[in-house]
Formats: sequence, C-alpha cells, structure tokens
Amino acid sequence: MTGQIMLKALITAATVLTLGPISSVADELSGEALYGLACAACHNPGVQVDHRVGPPLGKLNQRKAGSVEGYEYSAALSASTIRWNQAELTGWILDSDQRVPGSRMVYNNQLTINEIQRLANWLLAEQAK
Amino acid sequence: MRQFSRRRFIQSVAAMSSLAVTPARGKVSGRVVVVGAGLSGLNAALHLEHLGCEVTVLEARDRVGGRVYTLDHVAGHPEGGGNIFGGSYGRVLHTAQQLGVALRKPPRGLPSDFHVRGQIIKASEWPDASANQLPADWRELLPSRLQGRLQASNPLMATRNWLDPALNAVDQSAFDGMRALGFPEEAIRLIGVNNSYGNRMADTSLLSLYRVRAEFARLTGSQLSFTEAALGNQRLPEAMAAALKGPLRLSTPVRRVSQDQHRISLVLDNGESIEADALVMTAPLPALSKIEWAMPAERRRLMESVEYHKVLQAHLVVEAPYWEKRGQGGSWWTDGQLGRIFVRPIPGTERYNLTVWINGDECDALDAMPKADCQAEIMKQLYALVPDAKGAVSVGDVVRWSTDPYAGGVWSLWRPGQAAEAHAALRTPLGRAYFAGEHTAISYRGMEGAMESGERAALEVARMLS
Repeated sequence: MTGQIMLKALITAATVLTLGPISSVADELSGEALYGLACAACHNPGVQVDHRVGPPLGKLNQRKAGSVEGYEYSAALSASTIRWNQAELTGWILDSDQRVPGSRMVYNNQLTINEIQRLANWLLAEQAK
Repeated sequence: MRQFSRRRFIQSVAAMSSLAVTPARGKVSGRVVVVGAGLSGLNAALHLEHLGCEVTVLEARDRVGGRVYTLDHVAGHPEGGGNIFGGSYGRVLHTAQQLGVALRKPPRGLPSDFHVRGQIIKASEWPDASANQLPADWRELLPSRLQGRLQASNPLMATRNWLDPALNAVDQSAFDGMRALGFPEEAIRLIGVNNSYGNRMADTSLLSLYRVRAEFARLTGSQLSFTEAALGNQRLPEAMAAALKGPLRLSTPVRRVSQDQHRISLVLDNGESIEADALVMTAPLPALSKIEWAMPAERRRLMESVEYHKVLQAHLVVEAPYWEKRGQGGSWWTDGQLGRIFVRPIPGTERYNLTVWINGDECDALDAMPKADCQAEIMKQLYALVPDAKGAVSVGDVVRWSTDPYAGGVWSLWRPGQAAEAHAALRTPLGRAYFAGEHTAISYRGMEGAMESGERAALEVARMLS
C-alpha cells in the first residue's frame, strides 16, 4: 500500500520533472519502440562503434560506463564508476547532465518513468542476444 | 536546494527501479496527418509509419524541405536555408547515412576582411586600425569574435537549462545584459550588427546567446567537424520523403483545423476535407497563425508574440577571384547593410559561391522592395564595397525568408525571459493536435532541433494511438 502510494508520487513527480505531457492512456509502447523513438538515431543496438554520435548499447548489462573501445567519451563519463544496470540506466536517461556533470550526451528526456523502466529493461535484456 | 532535491529524487527512483515492470507489447495504429514536409514533419512521419500508423503528409510549398532549401538552379547549388550539419547532429547524420545521402566536409570558406566605420581592414590590421574603437583589452578581438567573451559568465551547464524558469526570470536584453557585464558600448554595437539570435539587441534574449555559446562549448573531438550533403542539403528531406510509404501532397496548404472528441478535421485551401485520429502540426508560428483554428486566446497571443529571425541572402556566382590582386581574402564582415559576405570555392571548378548574408532589422527596407529592386540595391552596395566584383560575378538568386508566407523568418526568437513560458505552452498538445518544428525543440536548434521535435511529437502521438 505504502509502496503503491510512493510509486504514484514518484510517477507524478517524474512527469512534472520531465515536462512530459500527461497522457490519460496507459503507457503501452514497448521497450523496443521506445528505443526507436528515443535512442536509435544516436546509439546502435550492437557492440561496434559506427557512424552514430553515441556509443553502441549492446551487451550493456553491468558494462562499465565509458568503456566501449574506439568510442570517444567525455572525460567525465570515462572517470565515472557507473556500471550499467536498471537503476543506473534509469537515473541516466532521466537526467544524464545531472547524473554525470560534464558528460556529452545532449538529450532531453521526454519519457515517463514507466517508459524509462521498460526501455531500460529492454536495453539490458538485449545483451543476451 | 533545487539541485539537492533533484538528486534525492533520482536516487529514490533508482532505488525503486528494481521493481519489475512487465514489458508491454506496443501496437500503434491510426490515421495521422502531418502538416509540413520539413525535417520535423518528415521525421515524425517516418517514425509513425514505422510504428504502424497510416500517415499523410501535407506540404504547402511545391517542394519538400521547408527551411532546408538548396538552390539547385544556381551553380554550386548553394544553401538558401539550413546550411551545415553539426558534428553532434545525431539524428540528421544517422538519417542521412541510413538513406544513402552522401555527406562531405564543406569546402573551406575564404578568409574575411573587415569593413567597419567606412574603412577596409585586414584581420591582421584590426588591433591597430583607427576604426577599431574598442578599449585596450578588447582591441585584439575581431568583431566576429567579441561575443565569445560571454562564455565566461555563461550560467548554462545542461541541455535544457535555457528553459529554466528561474533563469528566464532574470533574463534581460543582450544590450542591457552586456552593459551590466562591462562590455564596452562599441563591442555591443559590433555584436549587434551581425547578430543571428535577434533582430535587434534591445530585445535579443541574453539567455539565447548563452544557449548558443553553451552548445558550442560542449562540442569536443569529432563533434567539432561539420558536414553537409554533397549534392545539397535538400537531398536529405527528399530522401526522407522518398522513404515514406503513405502519400505526401505538395502545394497543399491547410486553411482550417477543427476537432471533436473522436477526430481532427482539416480543410485544405482547395476546399477538400481530411479527417484523422491525430495531427502533427509543424508549420512555423508565423504560418501557423494564419490557419483558422479556434485555439485558447492565451495560446494564440503567445503564438503571435514570437518573432522570427529575419534573413535575406543574395547568392552570387564568382567567375574569377577578383580579390586576389588587392590581397584581400574574398569574404567580408561589415558593419553596414551588407552584413556578411561569405565566399567559398565550388569544388571541381575555378568558380566560387558568394553569399551576401543580411540579417535582423537591416532586412526591412530590402524586404519591402520588389525582388528585382532588392537585388539591384544589394549589387549597388556590393560594387561600392568591392568595385572589382563588377563583371566578375553573376546573380544566382535572392532568398527572402521574412516575406516567405510559409516561414516568416529563419528561426524562432524568444524575447528576454519569454522562452520558459512560451516554449512550453506552444509545444503542448491541443486535443488530438501535436506540435513539432524547430521552435518546439529543446536540446538543439536548427536542423537537428527540427528532427528532435519530430521524434518527440511521434512519441506523443504513438502514446495516444497505442
């Protein structure tokens, strides 16, 4: 019960924080669809650096932040001790500038907290492929 | 305090996120009309088609691209609109790559001389020129570099902070702000004459200038290299349009928009009606405000209060490098009506593209003239500055964005303190209508901002139709 109230409060707070529109419809977009809408232009889902401006997101689970060979990271992210998991990814997507000041991802989150979690789940599961 | 509570919030979210969220199967379907076949509309349309929507794109002009406009009828196909892809333009670069639009490093522009207070000055002579009326510790800075001194006081650390209400509350005009920061009057004057982020310094937002500087300051390494589409930037929106499955109708302006609970309806200029489940409206605000639409009064007031940047360009082709015999660079930075003159070689030829780039209120008198008179006036002024250009140049075209009914200017300008309120209000959906276009972007300006906004509008529509 308390947990549910807390989650509700968090979702409300997240909606306000992200300036996202408040949708009356339950979030139903899949993690993969959200990846296509929010990440794919800058991050490929594999493990090789390609033409995209961000690093690849394959095999992300427990990967150390700033560690993909051949990708030019900010000093700030290279120096961070983050290892990617649900919690870290959620915080990063929500506000990467706040999470690692000086990092270079230029991204303004538009996703709700539910969507971020679904996206993070999908991204972390992708490492199995 | 604000920062602290934000961090606490993120920590609590992170702590709770171990709760499993069942992945849902997103299925999106419905009819969507996208108004505007510029980068924002095309990007929204491609995303929505990919997700399963049935999309129709309506474009008022007889071409796609909007404010991306390559002058294919002029040698060297110069850009009349969006002219350079930044190294951090992830969406633009990836879309070009995916659709096979070849990119290249732009040919290097020729060095600039200065024409200030009636004097012709080489860059190396600027510090000691009598026309340089800057105080001692400012004299070394070229007029085109003066604005860089703002970076020392830049309060913007993160992408979205230019929309921070607290910063907007203390925003002021570039004129007042620079004075308060100790900028000399002459520096403010010189920054003002070729200011791309306002039409006049008295109501240019200081925060807007900080936004641009913060964006540049953030670029590192490979992000510092710029590109362009090898055959013209308009090849990008053309490739996007070609990738659409649904119809794209050119020369189809929208006259009226109305909606009820179940559908949104558009009446076209030709009287035809179209209905859809959702609308993505990407028209720039000056064009949008001409569409009949019963919007809340406050929204309309905000929409009509946003000014767009005035830009007028004369595109010339240079047959021979007339500047060489006088030891001049070719390009110019002037404090007169001609503004800036950019010259760059046309690859593979002996010729050059020359663009006279006039912006801000300096455009007004020229915008009021018939196009032929406007062109004649620019040429008269050009020949007065560079008599040797006579006989060595030919006019390709004159592009006037402010008088373009489907643009109204090149990009949106937020007056001092206006951004936080107006930007948020103008990108908020109205029922089944969602809004995109560079004026609704947050992280980027220009072409990447347009792409970003299309992506965000597609997300909003997808949520509604899922």
